[in-house]
Amino acid sequence: MTTSTAGTAAPRATTAAAARTPRTAARTSATGAVSLRRHRRRHPVAHVLVYALCLIWVFPIYWMVNTSFKTPADIQSTTPQFFPHPFSVVNYINALTKAGFVSSLVNSLIITLGTVVVSIVLGFLAAAALTRFRFAGRKAILISIICVQMIPGTALLIPLFLSFKSLGLLNSYGGLILAYVASVLPFSIWVLRSFFVALPDEIEEAAKVDGASTFRILRSIYFPLVLPGLISTSVFAFINGWNDFITAYVMLQDQSKYTLPVWLVSFSTNEGTDYGGLIAASVLFSLPVVIFFMIVQRNLVTGMSSGAVKG
Amino acid sequence: MTAHGSSPLHTTGLPRRPRNDAARRRRSGAGGPRNWVAPLVLLIPTGIVLGAVLGYPLVRLIINSFEDFGLRALFTGTNEWIGFANYAAIFTDEDFLPVLLRTLVFTAALCIGCMVVGMAMAQLMMYVNKFTRMLLSSILILAWALPTVSSTLVWQWLFQPLYGVFNWIITQIGWFGDFTQHSWTGHPLQAFSIVFILIVWQSVPFVALTVYAGQSQIGDEYYEAAALDGASGWFIYRNITLPFLQPVLYLVVILQVIWHFNTFNQLWILTQGGPDNKTTTLALWSFQKAFASNSFGQGSAIAIVTALMLMAITVFYIRRLVRSGETL
Repeated sequence: MTTSTAGTAAPRATTAAAARTPRTAARTSATGAVSLRRHRRRHPVAHVLVYALCLIWVFPIYWMVNTSFKTPADIQSTTPQFFPHPFSVVNYINALTKAGFVSSLVNSLIITLGTVVVSIVLGFLAAAALTRFRFAGRKAILISIICVQMIPGTALLIPLFLSFKSLGLLNSYGGLILAYVASVLPFSIWVLRSFFVALPDEIEEAAKVDGASTFRILRSIYFPLVLPGLISTSVFAFINGWNDFITAYVMLQDQSKYTLPVWLVSFSTNEGTDYGGLIAASVLFSLPVVIFFMIVQRNLVTGMSSGAVKG
Repeated sequence: MTAHGSSPLHTTGLPRRPRNDAARRRRSGAGGPRNWVAPLVLLIPTGIVLGAVLGYPLVRLIINSFEDFGLRALFTGTNEWIGFANYAAIFTDEDFLPVLLRTLVFTAALCIGCMVVGMAMAQLMMYVNKFTRMLLSSILILAWALPTVSSTLVWQWLFQPLYGVFNWIITQIGWFGDFTQHSWTGHPLQAFSIVFILIVWQSVPFVALTVYAGQSQIGDEYYEAAALDGASGWFIYRNITLPFLQPVLYLVVILQVIWHFNTFNQLWILTQGGPDNKTTTLALWSFQKAFASNSFGQGSAIAIVTALMLMAITVFYIRRLVRSGETL
């Protein structure tokens, strides 16, 4: 592999890697019977080690769920119980009725859905512009979109806070939506671009011959064709907006505007003793993300990367 | 299956682009002012958002770092240009060197830890049956999917001094003595250790699954040839697996560096930089300066120094990206 191709191959290979994770296993077993597969020998020691790793990795999650179904008395016991008995949902009731849970849930939903809608609309238009047209500066824009992702998000937090403060955007949905859109947009454009690039030019040419306008082509031809890409980028935007802690922590100072992560952390500092309620609330908070993540995991590797680059 | 097999690491998983399409597009899209008007219109909304939320703050960050921007400036709206005074203040700050070293050691330890565990896990996954592999992948994806805030709060609970299960377990094992009521966040090194374990737990799934996926795309024929030549396992790993994985490993390492260097949430929620500021890294230091001491100028200067250091570390990767931009 030459160096020039390696540069292109690296990010794409990882996308591929992630994209193939669930499928590779199936393919392996299908071809495994035919080929020798010397490097895939079964090994008893490996099985023991992998089961040990499974145990270590699942333990925190198991403990989270276990704790959430215990009674508050069992949680505050110096000899931990490994199974909740009696089984209780009182922590969930406590969490749901806790002051601020419902309002922060609503805030989180508004901000997250706003981020999803705005980022896919903008991402779709920008990706179309950057792939279906040729114009001066196109390459420069593409490169700057990659480079923008290298700026650590925490570094921008200070000037962003000061700007939002002087514009009166602190404690506002719009301000946070804007910040989240900017943090997911480069990745969304990059993913959508690969979907656009795969489309043959003939479709567009045929539509032009039929007299379709640019807007019409975008709406009726490209939109349905890149829909899978739009779905995975919107899940990425959802997870990014839903999970963010630090931006919301800085921008939201009014308790009634807290998003769920900010509320959870303030809950842990203010009511440090109610671990049952805290853990149950964390389970509720994590559930939508875990479900979405499991569904689209294959497309998300590079997404995670850009999310983390933004802090 | 068409894209698969020719060159394992080039398969993209995303639809492939025909090789001659650049030439074709140039032909099809020739002539007419629409060629730049339409894309311009489509790009304007994105340009405005990215300019306002990324571009402008970046410029302002740089300017602020040269200004006496404190609480007073926030109210009066006048900030005095003080040249490199903020930078001088940081570099002569007695906290600077310890914070810098801490950040570098912490980042390096995490990168090494995550890569070693992740690559070992990926290799182990080659030696187990399908069921075991699927079990491990599902658990890894679950750990990966859990939001940082949730896993950090779970960590707080696992290591809670009085009722945390971890203290109970190691007290039961008994090798290290009695850990009842032991506070892990009370001692800098121990606080770092639990953050370290947390981040390894969160990051290894990405490393292991990505490396495994890359590894399982390496053609069987290479391994068969090596096996016929009687090569040993370690020799095969070093001379076939690693070279093939190189582009994937390269990207994974770079991402690890960026992520770990910028670690904020886990440290902030678990330790707030304490005890006695002994777990403060550059990211936390900048945050504390700006938002706790209202010294926005110095906070900005630290943020710039941090960003420049990260850039220096990742410059090769950026150069490669820019070079690959030739073929965009």
